[in-house]
Amino acid sequence: MADSSKPEPKRPAVLGNTVTRDQPPVVLVLGMAGSGKSSFVQALTAHLHKSRNFPYVINLDPAVRKVIFPANIDIRDTVDYKKVMHDYQLGPNGAIMTCLNLCCTRLQEMIGLVKKRSTEFPVCLIDAPGQIEAFTWSASGSIITDSFASTFPTVIAYVVDSARSTNPTTFMSNMLYACSILYRMKLPFFLVLNKSDIVDPAFLEKWMKDYEELGTSIEDARDAYINNLTHSLSLVLDEFYSTMTTVKVSSRTSEGMEDVMAAIEKCKEEYFEKYQPAFNELLKERLEKDVQQASDMLDKVNVTERNPQVVEEEEAMEDE
Amino acid sequence: MKYAQLVIGPAGSGKSTYCAAIQKHGESTERFVQVVNLDPASEVFNYKCAFDVRDLISIDDLADDEDETLSTMGPNGSLVFCMEYIANNIEELEQAIDAAEDDYYLFDCPGQIELYSHMNVMRTIVDALKSWDFNICAVFLLDSQFMVDVDKFMAGALTALSTLMVLECPAVCVLTKMDLLKSEDRERVEHMLNSEMSTLLNENPPSAFSSAYRKLSEKIASVMDSYSMVSFQPLDLQEEESISDLLLNIDNAIQYGEDADVKDKFPEEVDPEDDTGEW
Repeated sequence: MADSSKPEPKRPAVLGNTVTRDQPPVVLVLGMAGSGKSSFVQALTAHLHKSRNFPYVINLDPAVRKVIFPANIDIRDTVDYKKVMHDYQLGPNGAIMTCLNLCCTRLQEMIGLVKKRSTEFPVCLIDAPGQIEAFTWSASGSIITDSFASTFPTVIAYVVDSARSTNPTTFMSNMLYACSILYRMKLPFFLVLNKSDIVDPAFLEKWMKDYEELGTSIEDARDAYINNLTHSLSLVLDEFYSTMTTVKVSSRTSEGMEDVMAAIEKCKEEYFEKYQPAFNELLKERLEKDVQQASDMLDKVNVTERNPQVVEEEEAMEDE
Repeated sequence: MKYAQLVIGPAGSGKSTYCAAIQKHGESTERFVQVVNLDPASEVFNYKCAFDVRDLISIDDLADDEDETLSTMGPNGSLVFCMEYIANNIEELEQAIDAAEDDYYLFDCPGQIELYSHMNVMRTIVDALKSWDFNICAVFLLDSQFMVDVDKFMAGALTALSTLMVLECPAVCVLTKMDLLKSEDRERVEHMLNSEMSTLLNENPPSAFSSAYRKLSEKIASVMDSYSMVSFQPLDLQEEESISDLLLNIDNAIQYGEDADVKDKFPEEVDPEDDTGEW
């Protein structure tokens, strides 16, 4: 080893491209099953169509029977959920996971398609699979998110079903899950309180502003240990809400869609302020590690001279 | 008293494998563990099943149903339908399990978070088990490969909390598949398990993300430090010791074996007159 110094990384971005401000935001729509993700995507698409500002829409749910919005890319064209279930002898959960894994193998093509059109649309919407853990607690989910986040300013819209959240325990559990997604994905995040035509989400906003109110709503029917815990948790969530943008929408009456667009713009700014630097750091770290690994491997490769006679003897011994 | 572990966790976290391993471990330690499958959409598993809920109702039953609204339901809708059916017919489950005093059960549950937070079904089942004299401990499994840095670790703890706060029963969180981690990741995870969260936060190199959410992280850390409900236990199924350590903790939570009779291991008394030294 003549030169022990590390080779300098010459290519600054091998894994991703530099994300610039003129690129349109990508919105990843997440939420628990039945919270109305697809309807929200549909309503937002319809709203944008009205002003002839056509968005780019991707459906990532392989198990959905009918896509209710005009999808530009549909995962069901790439993988056949029923066939995967049959061919690999999988149950519904396993099949969704496998479909996402298969989709990952073609992810670069998908991103390439979006990138090619990126000057033509104001925003790209991605409807995630109904089973939320299939996306948040799987390797393919993070590969998809990271790949988009390295190409476009990507933000997350977390859809909450206001009608089901009238139970304070449900609401709290849902918010903790949202918080866990924030920590796992590390992307700008906004909450969509959906179905405002059924229940006015004002009570949720009240809970968000005043954690003691939520605390007392929960405390009525519970024992002391859990009470203590929920109290501490409401303190955690209080901090969570103070950093979050929240919008009230109704996918049925398309009320609040302008607010959604404003929230997306705000999150896009956040992406450049907080997330891009962090992401670039990570990229640099990974690159250095790769280069280090490559040079380690190179060190192991040596050209040696063999003595032909010894080789012959060895071979003769092996033959015996 | 009867004893039960409620095995919960997202798809792919290793619930069925865990059940099989505990059952096998029980065979060698003289503990008869019965496993009940509670997931109507479950696939192949390799434990001996005392009762399979799919005998009561399964996703496939719906697909073959004459009623078109049932047979064309998506995966999520049919799971919810099945679980609600079970919750409404809980007596059938009681009869099918037919547990006797001092029995030890594992319940292999479905992982979907909605069943816990949005619907009452899992809570109904837990309450029913309690009323049948079961001491229950929820065992929340998470795949350790998704927990290799401090932020992801917190994400995992929050996921566990969002489920466990609904169930209101003693709980143990477990990091599965420790044997599959790379050695450097394994060291890091073990370090996180052995330290207080608030100390870890300070060790974490500052980034744009961590400074933006500094206050939030601190509050989460203080909850994790003060409630043992969200302290994780590593589990390596290759090592018997790792399994018995975990079981010890769970047994503590459900008071298993505390009122068991003392087992007399001495040989029965032999009458000295009969003992002539000849056989």
